[in-house]
Amino acid sequence: MTTRTTQEKAAPPDLTGRSGGVRTERLFSGWTLATGFLVLAILALILVTTTRQAWPAFQDMGLGFITSSTWDPNPASGNPVFGALAFIYGTAVSSLIALLIGVPISIGIALFLTELAPRRLRGLAIMVVDMLAAIPSVVFGLWGVLVLAPLLVHVYRWVHDVAAPIPGLNSIFGEPVGTGRSFMTAGIILAIMIVPIVTSISREVLSTVPQANKDAAFALGATQWEMITGAVFPHSFGGLVGAVMLGLGRAMGETIAVSLVIGGATNITPNVFAGGNSMAAVIVQQFGESSGTFTAALIGLGVVLFALTVVVNLAARLVVRRAEVQLRGAAT
Amino acid sequence: MTTTVPPAERADVGPPSLRRAALAPRRRITNRVAMVAITLALVVAVVPLAWVTVSVLARGFELLSWQFLTEDIPNSYRRHGPGMAPAIVGTFLITGMAALMAIPLGVFGAIYLNEYGKQKPLAQVIRTMADVMTGVPSIVMGLFIYTVVVVATGEQTGFAGSLALACLMLPIVIRSSEEILRLVPDDLRQASLALGARKWRTILTVVLPAAVSGIASGALLAVARAAGETAPLVATIGIAFTVNPNLFSGQNTALPAQIFRNASQPFEGAQERAWGAAVTLVVIVFVFTVLARVVVSRFAIKER
Amino acid sequence: MNRRMLSRLVLAVVAVAVLAGCGGGNDNGGSSGGGTANGSGQLKGSGSSFQDAFNQEVISAYKEKAPDVTVTYNAVGSGTGKQEFGKGLTDFAGTDSLVKDTDGVPAGSFVYVPTVAGPITVSYNLSGVDKLQLSPDTVADIFQAKITKWNDPAIAKDNPGASLPDTAITVAHRSDGSGTTSNFTKYLTVAAPSTWKLGSGDTVAWPSGTQGAEKNTGVAQIIKQTDGGIGYVDYSDAVETKLSLAAIKNKDGNFVAPSLEGATAAMAGATVKDDLTYDPLNASGADAYPITSPTYLLLKNKYDDANKAQLVTDFARYMLTDGQPIAKDVNFAALPSGLQQKALAQLDKVQS
Repeated sequence: MTTRTTQEKAAPPDLTGRSGGVRTERLFSGWTLATGFLVLAILALILVTTTRQAWPAFQDMGLGFITSSTWDPNPASGNPVFGALAFIYGTAVSSLIALLIGVPISIGIALFLTELAPRRLRGLAIMVVDMLAAIPSVVFGLWGVLVLAPLLVHVYRWVHDVAAPIPGLNSIFGEPVGTGRSFMTAGIILAIMIVPIVTSISREVLSTVPQANKDAAFALGATQWEMITGAVFPHSFGGLVGAVMLGLGRAMGETIAVSLVIGGATNITPNVFAGGNSMAAVIVQQFGESSGTFTAALIGLGVVLFALTVVVNLAARLVVRRAEVQLRGAAT
Repeated sequence: MTTTVPPAERADVGPPSLRRAALAPRRRITNRVAMVAITLALVVAVVPLAWVTVSVLARGFELLSWQFLTEDIPNSYRRHGPGMAPAIVGTFLITGMAALMAIPLGVFGAIYLNEYGKQKPLAQVIRTMADVMTGVPSIVMGLFIYTVVVVATGEQTGFAGSLALACLMLPIVIRSSEEILRLVPDDLRQASLALGARKWRTILTVVLPAAVSGIASGALLAVARAAGETAPLVATIGIAFTVNPNLFSGQNTALPAQIFRNASQPFEGAQERAWGAAVTLVVIVFVFTVLARVVVSRFAIKER
Repeated sequence: MNRRMLSRLVLAVVAVAVLAGCGGGNDNGGSSGGGTANGSGQLKGSGSSFQDAFNQEVISAYKEKAPDVTVTYNAVGSGTGKQEFGKGLTDFAGTDSLVKDTDGVPAGSFVYVPTVAGPITVSYNLSGVDKLQLSPDTVADIFQAKITKWNDPAIAKDNPGASLPDTAITVAHRSDGSGTTSNFTKYLTVAAPSTWKLGSGDTVAWPSGTQGAEKNTGVAQIIKQTDGGIGYVDYSDAVETKLSLAAIKNKDGNFVAPSLEGATAAMAGATVKDDLTYDPLNASGADAYPITSPTYLLLKNKYDDANKAQLVTDFARYMLTDGQPIAKDVNFAALPSGLQQKALAQLDKVQS
């Protein structure tokens, strides 16, 4: 005798319609979209409020805002003049020095990590770079103003004495200011601070070079350096440029460390051992005491700085991404 | 008729020598110089790191004591002696509140970018703008919050500082979380969906738990970065010499702000406190950074 | 530690942060009055770094007298102090320079309360040179970077017989808006009118080649760190930093070194205006130190909160009475009794 087990026919699972899931789904996805939008909203808000507040200064000064080198918020007579050229110059010079010093070091470390390092040393080197990134910029500023600057004065004096008879060089390496707080010191501190970011991106870029290319170079009899210049650099050039630009963006925006060691003077001079000022540092120094058009001018400096760093960052990301696409295409 | 020398008659040079000595000296020297330079680059990077660490430890260590961590800040720069408790508390509170605001919002933003938006144009724009926002100078963030919040409410508070720091942290958290979410294997999502879970449920119960260690690590790094920021705090939080546990009322202070103020003082007492505060700050940031690495290495998604 | 414990730990940390953040509970700002004899509450002030040392000592002493009142003073420079006061961020301001239209404080909404005075020193750091005398024209040219070396003939003329080294001069000035700058440059405009070309004000367009720093203490730090440095610093900070102080030729032709007696002598001859501002710069008198600076508190003449008005006037009264003897300990000159009485009377003008 057979027993028939009866099974109730189970209803197929309901994949449509009105179960609580759909409403929650819409709410959830809407919520995440909103938070994504938040980024756009904040950025737009920053742009709008700062530009609107800076407008009176732009109107007053016109193009003179960026071409005039006189910054006189409280003139003895006449209207205040807000010419930011000296600060733009200071930002540019200190960032340039930072790049000149920091980029070779960063690319060197990146090359070390990808080409030379034995496995054990690699972890150590990465740790060193990470620790450099972890030190807050204000600590670098503190060390720079209390330890480094007073010591560097002697170095600067020596360089100045050596360069004095050489025309051209003697105006770049002119009389060092007694405190050591100068474009050069600011550039050195900035170089230390951009090394981590340029190194990590360079390392990523360099590690995408196909081993086949490198092996081919070796097979043709290249030395290691010739392999690097022949196979690695051409392949990763775009990405490296992008990394450098990101470092530039970071250097331009650095405020606190620079304001402590750059010297607080409104100055346009080729002498890198002289004191100067940068846009971000000026904002921090004078913001509290400003009102009216003065505040507008300082916010205007912030807008100019913001615009510059946005342009540099966007360009850098574009260059890096385009280089990545090219590389991936070539590697397949 | 062209004459070619038959192979048998060519001068016998033997197989090419692969020894280093056979290289032309110029090439050999260039190679050596380059390799030395590259190794030197690492050494050069170590020098400032070591120097700063040694300076900070040597000068700050003397002042470090239980009193330093618990006493109030002397209100006169000239006095010697300890006290950074208000700044330590301030750093934790202000950074903590900023993290509380930025991390959840950032993670949800990353969820949108990776799970819903993907390559859609709006998502691309948001992604690019988040990148742009990571490059905004911190002083601009501080100015923004000063004009929009501090002047409007008429008060400098710790919360205004938190807002400024949160604006700074948000894009960092979004981008790092998005990278982590991208690493979560699609199989997990598809399996969950196949079992009948909705997308939101899949995200909350499958994707997030798989990504939590990477997200936590990214968040800790963002917190470490925010703890060390000074410029956004300068205009927004004012000054305090005693511990102020209330973020929403009354001025406050934080370690980076104290370091900044004391860095330009001529008095030894103030400079000592600056170094002491620097040691404390570096230790805090270091702990967070190490914690981030530990979290990743111990709890990372195990590759199958 | 497995994943579940990790998420619990994260939750715990978050909970602690939240509790700490909003559970601050009893803030130190209980503003409804009552309690001890001197009330309770919070007072916020900011401004001049010139008077900072004195203010902080008074605040510490006042803590004994009125333990429930928390007073904070943030030395951010006179310019910023006036702005914050005008925006309502602070209850009182400290300033050494008078309020102008552009300072953000509406005219007629405040009163000046003079508290102390002190010399502005021309401090320097030059190895081997302990004594230095300078006339106003020389000072003007040094700070305008027309004189760039210490052995310049103009300096030698002021210091017959002294041996001056060939060191370069590093001029230190303020990079923030400063009442000290205002008074120093005002002095130069009055005492060296044909030489000084940069005008006067909280900020001035200093020539290139000079160095700027924040607050009096920042300038003092530059001078201390730099051989060949010179700058203007309030007497209290200069003495505390152990800088060398130059004797300045006063209106009567005598070289007077900065001191409290010199400051008091300068104040003696100054005319006090109705709003209690006075100008002891370039005062006549054989012993007067020519660069003596007044310093004031700014109080609102009407506070919205009755308790706040009471707290502020109590604190200011303390500063003008029991606080005056403290001035000498930190190298400030106390007010002459006539001015002190007028200042106390000024406090009665503050309403709520």
